[in-house]
Amino acid sequence: MGKTRKYLEKNQAAFTSILAVLLAFIVVGVLLFSTGRNPIEAFGYFMSGAFGNTYNIANTVSRVIPLLIAAIAFIIGAKCSVFNVGIEGQLLLGALTSAVIGFGLDLPPVAHLPLMLLTGALAGGLYALIPAWLKVYRKVNEILSTIMLNYPAFFFTHYIVLNVTPLEGVIPATPFIKESARFINLFPGTRLHAGIFVTLLVVLFAYFLLQKTSLGYEMRAVGLNKEAARFHGIPVEKRMMLAFFMSGCLAGLAGAVEVAGVHYRYLDQFSPGYGYDSITVAMVGLLNPIGAIFSATLFGALKTGILDMAVFTAIPRQLVTLINGIVVLFVAAKSMIQNGFLRVVKGKQSDAPEKETA
Amino acid sequence: MDFLEVIKSIFTLSLAYATVRICISIVFAGMGEMITERSGVFNMGVEGIMLMGAFTAAVVAHFTGSPWIGLLAAAVVGVLIGLIFAFVAITVKANQAIAGLAIYLLCVGLSGYLLQVLFAHGGNSPKVETLPKIHFGFMEHIPVIKDVFNDQSVLMFPALLLPIILYIVFYKTPWGTWLRAAGENPKALAVVGKNPITIRYIAVLAGSFFAGIGGAYLSISQTSIFSEKMVNGRGFIALAAVIFGNVKPAGVFAACMFFGFMDALQFTLQTVIPDQYFPREVFMALPYILTLLILGGFIKRSSGPADISNPYEKESR
Repeated sequence: MGKTRKYLEKNQAAFTSILAVLLAFIVVGVLLFSTGRNPIEAFGYFMSGAFGNTYNIANTVSRVIPLLIAAIAFIIGAKCSVFNVGIEGQLLLGALTSAVIGFGLDLPPVAHLPLMLLTGALAGGLYALIPAWLKVYRKVNEILSTIMLNYPAFFFTHYIVLNVTPLEGVIPATPFIKESARFINLFPGTRLHAGIFVTLLVVLFAYFLLQKTSLGYEMRAVGLNKEAARFHGIPVEKRMMLAFFMSGCLAGLAGAVEVAGVHYRYLDQFSPGYGYDSITVAMVGLLNPIGAIFSATLFGALKTGILDMAVFTAIPRQLVTLINGIVVLFVAAKSMIQNGFLRVVKGKQSDAPEKETA
Repeated sequence: MDFLEVIKSIFTLSLAYATVRICISIVFAGMGEMITERSGVFNMGVEGIMLMGAFTAAVVAHFTGSPWIGLLAAAVVGVLIGLIFAFVAITVKANQAIAGLAIYLLCVGLSGYLLQVLFAHGGNSPKVETLPKIHFGFMEHIPVIKDVFNDQSVLMFPALLLPIILYIVFYKTPWGTWLRAAGENPKALAVVGKNPITIRYIAVLAGSFFAGIGGAYLSISQTSIFSEKMVNGRGFIALAAVIFGNVKPAGVFAACMFFGFMDALQFTLQTVIPDQYFPREVFMALPYILTLLILGGFIKRSSGPADISNPYEKESR
């Protein structure tokens, strides 16, 4: 008993996160029930839609790819005290730029795909420099500025697709990218593609950067306490600019990977809000690259599972955004959940004597 | 086309009418957020509360047949969502920006979900009865005034009066002093026996109340329908207006009018200048880009309350 208690206490952050998600699902279940839907039945369709057979599992994994890359984008920023809510816009610009490179150039596959991913990432990174500069040198709240910047990015990509790049057919999209710029499909009949390996590289990159390099250490120091970091000679402004740039690059990369692996062109409004979902994924994953793998899997499953659920149970797909909101709310209120959790784990002890032993 | 002709066809009295018409919802949301921010709380969920306000107003107006009951319901729903935010941001002391973001996502999801549940298909509600427009006989003979202020929504009057009322409350009543103290120096307020937490709660609820009304105006007065993305960044623009206006009634009101004007101008330009000369997307992005320029301090502004975004902690021994 003592051992379990210690274990639970040591990993309280992870359990708090899991509790937040569970609570959110309970709230959603109550909402479904009160609007005349059967939450148990809905959950069944959701599970079979997400994991019911190998095809569904492959599709779930394919949804994890953009979510995970975008979540890592958010994490790298947030660790350095930069809250990049503009991932959606940066992702759109990255996707469009990479699509243009993909259909506009003729290169051997060794060069074409990497170049395409690189330019996509760069587009996102450059766009992120605007809110970065505004935050660092003009003290503009980056959450507000990045949300604002999502709108121009949306209008810009929409305009380019409709008026500049050649239209093929009636769907607003760029022409298809060349074969040499595509990821191999790993599982015919599903959307699972080789971009999954890029995703794993991104996770490893973020993990090593944040945990094993002095640059990552400095970035985390800025995130924990700016003044103390400055006192220790860390160039706070430069680190924040860099974090924002890297965050934007990864957001752009997430868009480019979707183009190269799933759509093979830039499809207007292709993103079902990956940029916003990524924030939830990152927060549930405790802003930890490894933790994000688990939460991205959960929300990837949510994305695919909800499709079957919507077809069979007349439950609207808008439920996903609602779940996101509730989860973020619970994660934001995690200190409350954590206190409750510790109280249960530690029995009826009050907080006061705890501090003396600690 | 002659350049002067173009200018003349853009800057007309109907542009002024449209400015007033559009700015009403931003004024409600902006004034509400100003109250909230004065108390030291930054509520980024305004956009979401407006969306739920617009949704509730349209739905209740549809089922009761009365837009007035719809308006009331929107205000009540606004306050309820504000209560959730206040609890998480003030009592639980969560990061206010993230709590606001959560409220925004929650409202987008909830309104979208309930819309589908209630009306089965499409991203719109049915057409509903709207609040009356006010027509004054005496205004008919006053040039300019009759074109700009006559036949506006009944909500124009509270929207125009609100900045004046709030100015008086802020600077001429004890409530205003307590409110400002809660945002500047909550500990000093606690010393004189007022609870900063209570005041912040009231300020958040008041702000959410007005955000709900601002949203309701969109669906049951400016238009007669609720559609999924109808608030379209107005809540975020209201936040920018509060910053731009230095969290002061006159300044915030002027900023809201300015953003209303930009939006009206954008609509006018879309119709006056043909698409092949200038892409309409540029005009649509204009209000957001301008907001950023303003936030970036390319136009001068001073800072808001000293204790903004900090949770109130009782003095530790």
